[in-house]
Amino acid sequence: MKIRKRKHDQEVNTGSMADIAFLLLIFFLVATTLLQEKGLDLQLPRKKDDTSTSSPIKERNLFKVMVNSRQEILIKGEYRKNLVGLKDEIKAFVLNNGEQEHLSENPKKATISLKTSRGTKYASFIQVLDELKGAYFEIYAENIGLTKEEYLKLKQSDPHQYKLYLKSKEGIPMNISIAEPTI
Amino acid sequence: MAHFRKKASRKTQISTSSLPDIVFLLLFFFMVSATIKPKEELLAYKVPNAENLVKPEMKFLIKELVIGFPKSQKLGVTPRISDGKRYMEIKDIAQWATAAKAELPENYKDQMIVLLKADLDVDMGLIADIQEQLREVDVRKVLYRTSESTTDPIQ
Repeated sequence: MKIRKRKHDQEVNTGSMADIAFLLLIFFLVATTLLQEKGLDLQLPRKKDDTSTSSPIKERNLFKVMVNSRQEILIKGEYRKNLVGLKDEIKAFVLNNGEQEHLSENPKKATISLKTSRGTKYASFIQVLDELKGAYFEIYAENIGLTKEEYLKLKQSDPHQYKLYLKSKEGIPMNISIAEPTI
Repeated sequence: MAHFRKKASRKTQISTSSLPDIVFLLLFFFMVSATIKPKEELLAYKVPNAENLVKPEMKFLIKELVIGFPKSQKLGVTPRISDGKRYMEIKDIAQWATAAKAELPENYKDQMIVLLKADLDVDMGLIADIQEQLREVDVRKVLYRTSESTTDPIQ
């Protein structure tokens, strides 16, 4: 009886572990700067001397958008004050499927060309690029019966959503081409 | 008998009541020391707004380039390029991209994404020159960093 009583509890007090954990958590929260990685993505063309894949594009399959150094916009040779209606024009152009003479033959061949001048402000370029991407995203979203907002929230890591994502893009590549700026 | 029992049940515990104080002391120390010397940004930039943003699935593919205006008046007011650590010239971009590419695992080397954090007042000529350099070394995915706008940018 006596011996049992003499056994002391020699455990380390773990009550403060939570405090230490919180301390570390807060420290890392404060110290790490999160990488902000949202933006507009774009695929650049191949190297200039690489002519293996380049073939001339027919005039009707090309939708030209130009922005000059005075931030003026030229769409299909027509001067525009703003970008109102550009989205719908692109949608009509891409999804034409050969119906109208002056629009694209099919979505695969349809190419949007965005040309800037060296003096164009980056902000104007992004504004136009945003519209172009928006038009394509609307097409993709309509393909699978979602709104554009829902479409942009699809997670590619989820197999089911990835399937939808692939389905939406089927046969409609996003051909946005950046021409080298003129001086 | 009673006398003995009392002695045996006495526990030898260290007082932990001062522990929170020590913890908070450490916390404040790190908080203060972390804000005193932040990662020094060489350039000032304000990214444009856009609506249709995408988020790359694999973050480790992203390498950053900043194009903005020098914070120090001594360096003038022309836009400069930086990789976050040092200033770069146009001709350095290709080398930088190649070095950044080498850090990636073998099967992802062709998928490197260059995140361009450019100020909205920068001219496209500079951006185009950078893209030209990137094309030379076959780094062809770019991501223009934009902040999210809730309203339509046209209006």
